[in-house]
Amino acid sequence: MANAENIVETTPVQQEEEYSSFRYAMGAILAFFGISSKTHRASKKRAKFVGDVFTYIVLLFGTFLMVYPFWWMVAASFADTTDGASATQVIRSIVWWPERSTFDSSFSGKAGGAFWNYYLFFTDGLTVVNGKFTFWRALLNNLLYSIVPVVVGVITSASAAFSFAKINWIGRNAVFYFLLAAIMVPGPSIMTAQYAMYKNLNWQTNGLVLIIPGMFGSIMTAFFIRQFLFGLPTSIIEAAKIDGAGYFRIFCGFILPLAMPAIMAQGLLSFMGCWNNYMGSYIMIPDTSSAVNLPHAIAKMDGYGGGGRYASINYAAVIAGSVICVIPVMILFACFQKLIIGSLMLTGSKE
Amino acid sequence: MEDSIAVNEAVAGEEAAAVEAVPKKKEKKPINQAKLQDNLWGWIFCIPLIVGTVWFVYICLVLAFLLSFTNYQVINGGDMFAYIAKMGEHIHPNGAFYWYSYAFNNMTQTQYPMNELGAYLFNTVFYMIGIPIGMILSMFFAVCMSRDIKGGNVFRVLYYLPCVASTISVVYTFKLMFSQQGVMNGILGLKDFDNGGGFQWININGTTDLTWNNLITKNGGTPTSASAFMNDPYWCQGIFTKLVIIIMSVWKGLGGTIILYIAGLSGVNAATKEAAQIDGANGWTIFWKVTMPDLYPVIFYNIVTSVIGGMQIYAEPTLFIGEQYITSGYVSLIQTNGIKAGKSSQGAAYGMILAVIIFVLTMFQFWLDSRNKD
Repeated sequence: MANAENIVETTPVQQEEEYSSFRYAMGAILAFFGISSKTHRASKKRAKFVGDVFTYIVLLFGTFLMVYPFWWMVAASFADTTDGASATQVIRSIVWWPERSTFDSSFSGKAGGAFWNYYLFFTDGLTVVNGKFTFWRALLNNLLYSIVPVVVGVITSASAAFSFAKINWIGRNAVFYFLLAAIMVPGPSIMTAQYAMYKNLNWQTNGLVLIIPGMFGSIMTAFFIRQFLFGLPTSIIEAAKIDGAGYFRIFCGFILPLAMPAIMAQGLLSFMGCWNNYMGSYIMIPDTSSAVNLPHAIAKMDGYGGGGRYASINYAAVIAGSVICVIPVMILFACFQKLIIGSLMLTGSKE
Repeated sequence: MEDSIAVNEAVAGEEAAAVEAVPKKKEKKPINQAKLQDNLWGWIFCIPLIVGTVWFVYICLVLAFLLSFTNYQVINGGDMFAYIAKMGEHIHPNGAFYWYSYAFNNMTQTQYPMNELGAYLFNTVFYMIGIPIGMILSMFFAVCMSRDIKGGNVFRVLYYLPCVASTISVVYTFKLMFSQQGVMNGILGLKDFDNGGGFQWININGTTDLTWNNLITKNGGTPTSASAFMNDPYWCQGIFTKLVIIIMSVWKGLGGTIILYIAGLSGVNAATKEAAQIDGANGWTIFWKVTMPDLYPVIFYNIVTSVIGGMQIYAEPTLFIGEQYITSGYVSLIQTNGIKAGKSSQGAAYGMILAVIIFVLTMFQFWLDSRNKD
């Protein structure tokens, strides 16, 4: 062993020569791309640069996968499907832009112009299927179902969160865990009882079923706002109390403005949930009622999940409806993305 | 005697002391006005949430539990509260547990004579294949995004876009992209340009055997690929539809998980990482030995929530191809029986079974977690 060590020590030059020229060249190339090997050591700067390029390629490819369906959706909503024979062909074979689109010259004189499919969707979309009402009604329903319960519900949740975080009262923790245990109950398993109850209360055909339960707030929203309120100093509240402010005053004057980031984020998230609430409407509101919300109304145009078969001729109108359904939440998300993602990150780091 | 008197006196003395103590406490009461206010306002601020939760969750849970032993029909069953109030008279004629035994014994009335509950449950569990796929993908992207690069926040936002889009829009887009003449068939070479055909992803009634030749070859002009499914076994009926649904769910859920993981990665101890680096560990080792243990709580939270969510899959299969036993999730069983067919009590029984399944699964995961920590 000692002999061998001696040989190694005395012949360092020979060891380098042990690599074949191919291996040596490969090492040089690898080092150029920032990967260290036995023959060559890559510089850290080069390694970082190559890693960054690789990361950008991967992330850009992923971004393409994430965004492409949305682009496809927009392209399909401008497809010209007025010719019944080739309608299916036109909309299905879209890759980047339809063969015949509503931007063609034949549409310049028509009512909606290039937005012919949107025009169809809004004017006679559901009248064709149901003979009852247009999509303006569904859109208004959706606005009502997502604004009223969310605004009222977030305020009630925030008040409960304030009470749980900052007021000392007997049985506070017991009540909190009692309410928190409710999230263990899966929604679908109590669906039938809720359905029967709402039918008894007659909340279904007028759409109250999607408004009233939301107005009582949700325990998850209250939980997150409570976590946020724990971070606020209690001294503010005590100072306000000494100055003679009642709890109601403290809540309106201090807690609501101070907890606004958390309240806004939770409100926006639940707004998106309510706006996209297909299941709630499909299960609770009858197909023939005019109280259905927008996703349910769009589903009615398609064969499955709804009633009619509007699809075979003018599927482009269905896709136009889908675009209409996506745009408001996209705009909201674009405006408040920092707030929403920050709130989601907080959730991740808390748990 | 003297002793007893002494004892009596002592007792009397104590009583007197107690009597004296009570007024003292009563004197303190005005100072506790603040505490009274605390209790009063604490309750007042909570009352809406308490009422809502009790009314729409707990009362409904009790009602569903009670309903599952009866034979209530929502269409012509009359007032449910009156019905439940006379619960004793309305136990199901075939025994209180009739709907439960029905659920476990009822066979599907089709060419595949198998347990209906088992069929729907199989589909639900099948869709959960998407959970590990989504986790690995989102971990990969999260690690990429948390590198020190410019524009990382932009990627975060773009990847979150599918999460905010409504399910219905996304489903209809995917349905058309995976149609016979769609983009996907074009990419995969399964599109028949001459005859306007192509491989049918969204189809549950295939009769052709699943072979590669059946997927791509054409039989005298018309593609046999129109419905390449194995003919016999139940489990691969509509398997391509399920695949599309899994792809869509993974695509839609990726952003949320990525954000969770980025949050977790930013919380990983940088000092430990650096120490490992100095000790000569390479990136791969650091990831497995330093980052992963720190990320464990986030991953565990993600698994628990996605299993609970995955058990309740409903909208995607329904919107893709309607409700039947080949593709629908368990919730469809509740919906079709309990609400569409109006047999509330049957739906409630199915719901109770679902609640127990989810509870047991969650407890199992927590048990695994606790065992892991020891």
